[in-house]
Amino acid sequence: MTQPPDLLEVREVAKSYGPVVALRSADLSVAPGEIHALLGANGAGKSTLVKILSGVLRPDSGTIAVAGTPVQFSNPVQAVRAGIAPVFQDPALVPHLSVADNFTLTGTDRAAVRPWLSRLALDVDLNERVNALPLAVLRMLDLARALAHDPQLLLLDEMTAALPSDYTENVFAVMREWRDRGRSVLFISHRLTEVQEICDRATVLRDGRAVDTHRTSEGGEARIVGAMLGERASRVGLPMAERRSIAVDGPARLQLEHLAAGRRLKDVSFAVARGEVLGVVSLEGQGEDDLFLTLAGDQAARSGRILVDGVPVKGRHPLQAIRRGITLVPSDRQHAVLPQRSIRENLALPLYSSIRSWGWISDRKERRAVQKAVDELEVDTRAADAAKQLSGGNQQKLTIGRWLVGGYDVMLCFDPTRGIDVGTKHQIYRLLRQQAAEGRSVLMFTSELREVPLVCDRVVVLHEGRIVAELPAADADEETLLHAMHNLPARELS
Amino acid sequence: MTVTAPLVPQLPPPTRPHVRAIRLLRDEAWTGALVVLLAVLLIWQSTQVFRWGAFELDTLFVSTLPLVFLALAQTVVVIAGGIDLSVGAQMVLFNCVSGSLMLHAGLGTALLYAVVTIVLAMAAGVLTGWIVTVSGVPDIIVTLATSFVWVGVALWIMPEPAGGAPDSFRHIFIGSGTAFWPALLCIAVPLLLIWTPLRRSRMGLSIYALGSDPQAAFLAGVDARRARITAYAVAGLFTALAGLSTTAYTSGGQASLVVANTATLGAVAAVVLGGVALSGGVGGLLGPILAVWCLSLIPANLLTLGVDPSYGEVVRGVVIVLVVLGGSLLRRMGSRP
Repeated sequence: MTQPPDLLEVREVAKSYGPVVALRSADLSVAPGEIHALLGANGAGKSTLVKILSGVLRPDSGTIAVAGTPVQFSNPVQAVRAGIAPVFQDPALVPHLSVADNFTLTGTDRAAVRPWLSRLALDVDLNERVNALPLAVLRMLDLARALAHDPQLLLLDEMTAALPSDYTENVFAVMREWRDRGRSVLFISHRLTEVQEICDRATVLRDGRAVDTHRTSEGGEARIVGAMLGERASRVGLPMAERRSIAVDGPARLQLEHLAAGRRLKDVSFAVARGEVLGVVSLEGQGEDDLFLTLAGDQAARSGRILVDGVPVKGRHPLQAIRRGITLVPSDRQHAVLPQRSIRENLALPLYSSIRSWGWISDRKERRAVQKAVDELEVDTRAADAAKQLSGGNQQKLTIGRWLVGGYDVMLCFDPTRGIDVGTKHQIYRLLRQQAAEGRSVLMFTSELREVPLVCDRVVVLHEGRIVAELPAADADEETLLHAMHNLPARELS
Repeated sequence: MTVTAPLVPQLPPPTRPHVRAIRLLRDEAWTGALVVLLAVLLIWQSTQVFRWGAFELDTLFVSTLPLVFLALAQTVVVIAGGIDLSVGAQMVLFNCVSGSLMLHAGLGTALLYAVVTIVLAMAAGVLTGWIVTVSGVPDIIVTLATSFVWVGVALWIMPEPAGGAPDSFRHIFIGSGTAFWPALLCIAVPLLLIWTPLRRSRMGLSIYALGSDPQAAFLAGVDARRARITAYAVAGLFTALAGLSTTAYTSGGQASLVVANTATLGAVAAVVLGGVALSGGVGGLLGPILAVWCLSLIPANLLTLGVDPSYGEVVRGVVIVLVVLGGSLLRRMGSRP
């Protein structure tokens, strides 16, 4: 090989968080004067690799070399000094300081930023406080700051995710110009069409390994999706890109009409029938958190309506949702479990407002209800005194079992099987099906696409705050869902 | 760096005067409100007191001088996202240290001892900050513990009220006669010489950044440990000034846990009323100074009305709650992008 040394050379980098392996052995090389895409499904290890490259995390093993020199970063400043300037998904600007003060804080020369601000067409008063500016502007400011450090490699993590299209065009123009100067860009994006448009090469991560690096001109989106899926890829039907009209047998238990909420949920309508498990899948940051939190009453909707049995749900407190029968099993069970309290207290929590008689909690009724839930869920009761001693799977059973004790109509489960063992996962699948058979409804977000055909009746796909596809769970294999999640146009794979 | 011609023509300069005025009004609304409150209280007092004038102002500024410095000490730590329950104890300690050193000293020696006191106080601040950053024990517990230690050391230095300071040194803080401006000068000089440059420097911005968003601060390359220790050191400096001004005001020293604790809580009240968010990153030093004066005028005014001083405390509490409540509502409306 007579090529010049690569600008960035990552070899066998691994990182674990306790027992969870985020990166097994990642390899990546970025040439000078190249726009390189880093791709992968949720949990493939992209964000961990980005954090390692930008000095936020230290790898457990492996080597990183910049222009042939091995480097080790223990903080983000060292990465910038070595010539890697990142723009993170959440802008790294201190909220209560002015933009100018933020530049001073990072030692950014304001004279060096100014040409980039005008280049990016940013009309911003630098004396304005950061938390008074919109997110898109902050990301652009973060980019201008990174450019002002004149790095060899610009690291853009989901740079275009929150940007209006005119900003996106400016970003692309600057990226191309950067490449023409012989500098490089590592571009992380969920938008495969953008990757095709602007990137020279792409590296795909799967399960913490780099599985494919190729020129984007050779292969296209199908090759990327294939690499994300691995050998599991199967060539079956494609999703319908246009939305089908929602046809539900029987009256809708839960109905959403043009719901918009938070920063990301734009316009969502769907219905969940009695006895149905409706799956929701999406890439990260498409409004799925806003959807679940709004339904659970934890945040107010910006517009649109939520109806239970045809009657609108009002208010912005979880108690009001719970009274209408909507209960949430949150993504992080640490938010739901009372770690110091016993299994019984954890399960009986929703009862304390209903089984009191003259202020006293009926011990007999409580015991009976709790015992029933423990039996149904097969909770391991050897460590009954404090929930924190239970395994993650058993803790998750408590957060679900609480609502079996308390009663509900619609259960919102956000990634209910994240980080728990296979046996418990299957118990939870069985339980959810059983609940549906008893006429209750479940809305389940999952990041494990394999779960969809196992648990759900139907599945809707969320993309940039809107539903882009809806299909029967039986047709929802991983490839179909992955295509829909990236909002790729429906066409035959070669 | 050379940059090719911009894609779009250069836009007009973004900062127009009225924009700047609106922003100033929004950012400094809290301080403005405190100025109004202080003015109302002063005018009210002037209508109560026969021949109101320099004497009343002198009483106000001189008697509150130690508490103003303590409020400043607490403010710096709170801006960095922490809390310091030992500021009162440090004030008592350095009151006793300076009071015992300066007894029978001349002006020159007294000034030297003042510098020694300041250095010791900053060392105490560095020690506190170091324990907080290294141990991982919550600052509220560390500083509660050190507050007992400092008062203990003060009692060891001065088992009973004693000490003193030369009059020439005392006049630096309290002035002679009824001139109220020396006290104001004592506040202005350290603010201009220490805080203003610090506020503009990377270290000062690090203190704000740490309190505002530790994660963003880390990404911006802020050394959290150094910023926190610096905040405690600057707080130490202000507690030394509080101790020195107590020595000047009372002409001696007294090691009292009650005085220490009351002063600490008074400083926390002034910080809160002064528009400094206890969550960190927000606020300046002017607000807490104005807040100290307001808090001291409220019971004084009620007293001249013939209201029992214990009710004055109730009113003071109610004012704090109302102002903070109103302020947080305004802030919630204002910070929505």
